[in-house]
Amino acid sequence: MAFEALISSILLWFGIYSILSLSLNVEYGYGGIPNFGKALAVLVGAFTAGAVVNRILIAMYSIEGTTITQRSGFMKSTVDSIIASNPAYGIGLLVFTLLLAGLIGAVIGALYILPSAKLESDYLAITLLAIAEIMFMISYYNTDLIGGYYGAPVPDVLAFIPGELREWAFVALILFFTLLTYLFLERTLNSPYGRLLRAMREDAVALQFSGKDIMWVRIKTLAFSSAIASMTGVLYSFYAGNVVGIVNLFARVNWTFFPFLMVLLGGMSNNRGVLAGVFSFVVIWRLLDGYKHEIADLLNLPFDVNWLQYIIFGALMIAILYYKPEGLVKEKPIETEPIKELKSKHSEKA
Amino acid sequence: MILQTFNLSKFFEGLRALDGVSISVPREALTLIIGPNGSGKTTFINTITGFYRADEGRVEYEGRDITNLPPHRVFREGIVRTFQIPRPFKKLTVLENMLMPLNNPGEHIRNAFVKKWVDFESESVEKAYDILEFLNISHLTFEKSETLSGGQLRLLEIGKALMTDAKLIVMDEPLAGVAPALAHEILRKIKELCETGKTFLIVEHRLDIILDYADRVYVMGNGKVIAEGGKEVIEKPEVVEVYLGA
Repeated sequence: MAFEALISSILLWFGIYSILSLSLNVEYGYGGIPNFGKALAVLVGAFTAGAVVNRILIAMYSIEGTTITQRSGFMKSTVDSIIASNPAYGIGLLVFTLLLAGLIGAVIGALYILPSAKLESDYLAITLLAIAEIMFMISYYNTDLIGGYYGAPVPDVLAFIPGELREWAFVALILFFTLLTYLFLERTLNSPYGRLLRAMREDAVALQFSGKDIMWVRIKTLAFSSAIASMTGVLYSFYAGNVVGIVNLFARVNWTFFPFLMVLLGGMSNNRGVLAGVFSFVVIWRLLDGYKHEIADLLNLPFDVNWLQYIIFGALMIAILYYKPEGLVKEKPIETEPIKELKSKHSEKA
Repeated sequence: MILQTFNLSKFFEGLRALDGVSISVPREALTLIIGPNGSGKTTFINTITGFYRADEGRVEYEGRDITNLPPHRVFREGIVRTFQIPRPFKKLTVLENMLMPLNNPGEHIRNAFVKKWVDFESESVEKAYDILEFLNISHLTFEKSETLSGGQLRLLEIGKALMTDAKLIVMDEPLAGVAPALAHEILRKIKELCETGKTFLIVEHRLDIILDYADRVYVMGNGKVIAEGGKEVIEKPEVVEVYLGA
């Protein structure tokens, strides 16, 4: 693998997974909501790009075709050629799709936890996993909805950038959204809301006796984090040019298991820790993927080399939970400005 | 009366843990519930605060029917409770625990981002620190609550209850594990708070310490109220009998 391609791949996936893992950190790291159906929010983003926005564009340009996959392909050719000469169209389309995905993600996130918001964490986790799996099965096997296993091509929102620079332009775009997400969440969570979520994670029952409606907090939190996570689905679909990378049967590994591993590796309820976890994971993952044949030859593996990363990451998850449950960066108390002031007075007094 | 229960009953698989309990809690006073283990005291507290659903009977607070409201609604009505076994938010500091019962505007996502909570937070932090100083645990303000001893956790529970504007504070064995001198200090403060409009309903075993502070005493046995009155109620034969198991 060329060095340049390896670096761009690491940065791209660092950006994609950072947004997703930061949003998972809101619900799981801070709030203790074991969202084993995290992939659903990413699917919502892909669905917004591939099923909703595609249909709007197909209608706008009166594209004919027999299937959504075919119509989307024809539409992509038309729209890409417009974007190539009109960058504002591409940027506008990206922003519109992200906002729409955020809106749909928030609604789906709230509805998705509604039936199970009152359950204890184990049952909640299973219910969320089951709901997400059902949605993936429908999306994968129903080819009319979003192309199913054929997928649906989506426009190239950066079609105005020459081919050789497109990869790096996408990397920059995704890293820009990663930075925005990080700054936004740092500000939003270093607050009484972040404290409320951490208290809910510690003891949801006791928190009810402090006047907090746990069900409502969970619904709002899932809506909030799903809105952010759905951006991942949009950005990745636009990068890949197709939604097929999300609407597939390995979704639960790529879009749920990996983010959980990254949050646990980095450290829960700690955004910097999560970024450290994502970066460490992505570097290992991309190196394993990029040099898998060399590794296979070296180790003389008795099984398909493609399974190696799953074995390693499964073992890594167990090792973290067993030996370093606090992750790479330890959780710290939330210190708002008034708390910092008191702390400084308190230490002077002492 | 600030709180009244009417024939309140709670069954567990046929066991009558509460059996037609009717209690009246006078305003701005300390009402004490005593009784041997298994007499239904904690079940009574759990039922009036929404932790358990009542199977029969009614709970009225300030004349409003609050029977079977969920715990957060009971809290918002103006009733706060502490637990027999303290339930702190372990990874949170003592100060963070103290701030949890408040309805901070920053707990809403939109306010959290635009920082519409800093003034409220400043006042709350000061209030919390004052209470921690009163309870003699201000040196633990920035410690994680999981590092506190049993007695310190009880003080934290009391501190959390004092943080709220609740009119009725329900406490389940607040003096367990607390040194006698501090226990008396806490009870004196409770009496002071009664004079400022607070009402206390307390379940407690340490009668030697608390009895002198009680305005009204209920004695429970086998899920029923077996005696009520002033502190002299403990001398009644039926009370002695239930305690001695004769």
